[in-house]
Amino acid sequence: MGGASLALLLTVWYTTASLAVVSAATGLLYLALEDNLRRISEQSLRDELGVCRALVSEQRGDLHALHEEVEVDSAVRRYQKFYIRVLDAHGTVLSTTPGMDRDLSSSLVSEEASNNQGIFKIDSPAGASYRAVVATVPRDAHGSEVWTLQVAVDLTQEQVVLERQRVWVWTLLGAALLVCPGMGFAIAHRSTRPLREVAETARQIESNTLNERIHAEGYPVEIRVLAVAFNGMLERLEESFARLSRFSADIAHELRTPVNNIRGEAEVALARTRTPEELLEVVGSCLEESVRLSELIESLLFLARSESPGDHLHRTQVDLRRLINDVCEYYEATASEIGVKILVNPGDEKLMASVDRVLLLRAVGNLTSNSLAHCSKGGTVHLSAQRRGEQIWLEVRDTGLGISAEALPHVFDRFYRADPARSRNSGGVGLGLAIVQQIAAMHGGQVKIESNPGRGTTVSIILQG
Amino acid sequence: MKLLIVEDEAKTANFLKRGLSEAGFQVNVAEDGLEGRRQIEVGSYDLIVLDILLPGMDGWKILASAREAGVQTPILLLTARDSVADRVRGLELGADDYLVKPFAFSELLARVRTILRRPPVREASKIRVADLEIDITGHKATRAGQWLDLTAREFTLLSLLVRRAGEVLTRTLIAEEVWGMSSEGDSNVVDVNLRRLRTKLDDPFPRKLLRTVRGVGYILEDPDRQ
Repeated sequence: MGGASLALLLTVWYTTASLAVVSAATGLLYLALEDNLRRISEQSLRDELGVCRALVSEQRGDLHALHEEVEVDSAVRRYQKFYIRVLDAHGTVLSTTPGMDRDLSSSLVSEEASNNQGIFKIDSPAGASYRAVVATVPRDAHGSEVWTLQVAVDLTQEQVVLERQRVWVWTLLGAALLVCPGMGFAIAHRSTRPLREVAETARQIESNTLNERIHAEGYPVEIRVLAVAFNGMLERLEESFARLSRFSADIAHELRTPVNNIRGEAEVALARTRTPEELLEVVGSCLEESVRLSELIESLLFLARSESPGDHLHRTQVDLRRLINDVCEYYEATASEIGVKILVNPGDEKLMASVDRVLLLRAVGNLTSNSLAHCSKGGTVHLSAQRRGEQIWLEVRDTGLGISAEALPHVFDRFYRADPARSRNSGGVGLGLAIVQQIAAMHGGQVKIESNPGRGTTVSIILQG
Repeated sequence: MKLLIVEDEAKTANFLKRGLSEAGFQVNVAEDGLEGRRQIEVGSYDLIVLDILLPGMDGWKILASAREAGVQTPILLLTARDSVADRVRGLELGADDYLVKPFAFSELLARVRTILRRPPVREASKIRVADLEIDITGHKATRAGQWLDLTAREFTLLSLLVRRAGEVLTRTLIAEEVWGMSSEGDSNVVDVNLRRLRTKLDDPFPRKLLRTVRGVGYILEDPDRQ
């Protein structure tokens, strides 16, 4: 029942379950009543049989009391009517309750008795039901003469009671059939109301109302769990949405400066006649700004692309020691130019890992470039690649300025610059560390940063080896 | 050599035409997709520079219909969209190369030359540029008979410049060829290395061979033959 409404399903189930319970209960009660009535009539029958038996065996010859019991006492009862017939050893009827012959002839009773044992039920041809028993009673202690007693009890009253009970049962079931679906629907409707409210809240949330939350107090615990999960999702959405819009604003801002430079320089250059040298200077400057723009765009696209799934890494077996050596060699000239030593930890053995070489070069390169930018003359930048247990650590350690504790959590944010005064002129657009983190994440790794202001910074790319 | 540029953006078409003409090619421009396809089928070009986003008929369709019609002219695709899927699609449809905007003009020129198998690459072991002589197998460089004391990397760098003398090499290309690094965002490193090379190569001599092309990269050439 894939698409059916939950309320409908609940209603159906509630109705079915409650109807089943009501039917079972009334049915069982009916059966119990029937059983009890049967026991009562059987006991009365045995009782009556006992009385007659005593009269037959004890009152030898004196049949007056027996006749009294059989023909008068039994005949006057109205509710539990007994019919008794006394036969002698030859089958001659000695005494009969009046009216017994109408429904229960002697032959019918004795025939039924031969087919059954103990107490049995007789349905007369006229349609009435009786419970009956047949017993033989010796007239004296020697047992020389044996009489037969046929005792029957009329079940009409019992059947009336049962009939009345059946009417009650059906009435009850009919009422349940009417009431249960209604109740089921009410319960289902009520218990799915929080769901509808949650859905309503969700429906009303737009990109500009992401700060709204579902108020789950007073809801049942299951719905609270849902609401809490939902709120968590909203929170994450709100956060990434905020980050995204901040990011777009940052992009616009970063684009503004180079575009403004190009525009301004070109405008000023065209305002009056310039020498070819002046014009060359302007064109050159515009080209530089364009290159800067291109690099910014490339970095942004790299970040955007690496976040979308399906872009595969070109993993190959790479010697990471060799890789950091390459990075070191690349930056050697720059380092010696600014009087900074750049070192690689010693060790000849290879450290192989399956990584995207180009991306990892870029990541370690970014870190090294950052470290060099933060080192002053006489400082050191130390590169190392080590296996630590299951992990591989690529570390870039410098003796530079360090990063303050307030700035440290933000250094991986896009466009974040620890020192606002360190403007674009010192290179980079503030995406370097974000890219490093992205590259590590693409490899299933992470980036760790530690810094002592004034003493230096260590950044580690941790990969699962 | 006749080139066709299919590009609707006037400024792009304009600078491509001027740049390629100055590089010695005969250049025609088609300003929309339908005109582009007509010219490809009618004209006899040696190479086509094809933009993807075009009015009338986009670059993908032009490329596909040209290859279907049996046109074997090399095609270089230009696009503002950079995704692996696009790259693969372009090459599958039969493009010869793929360049993403924004690109350096020198990069485009280099690719055009590569496709036309006219790369000014000199395979000889000994190459001369003015009074600079370089022996690639012997790892030796002399200028005006004087031996230049270069490190291994500096020699690799110099031999790259010499082999592609007369061609502007971008910083990215230099970083890739010499160090195997992509230098995006950190082109300063290449500048430092070229500055050092220059102190050994050009500073002691009156004739300067290595020239910085502002905003693009570097070129090594004989200043008298310019």
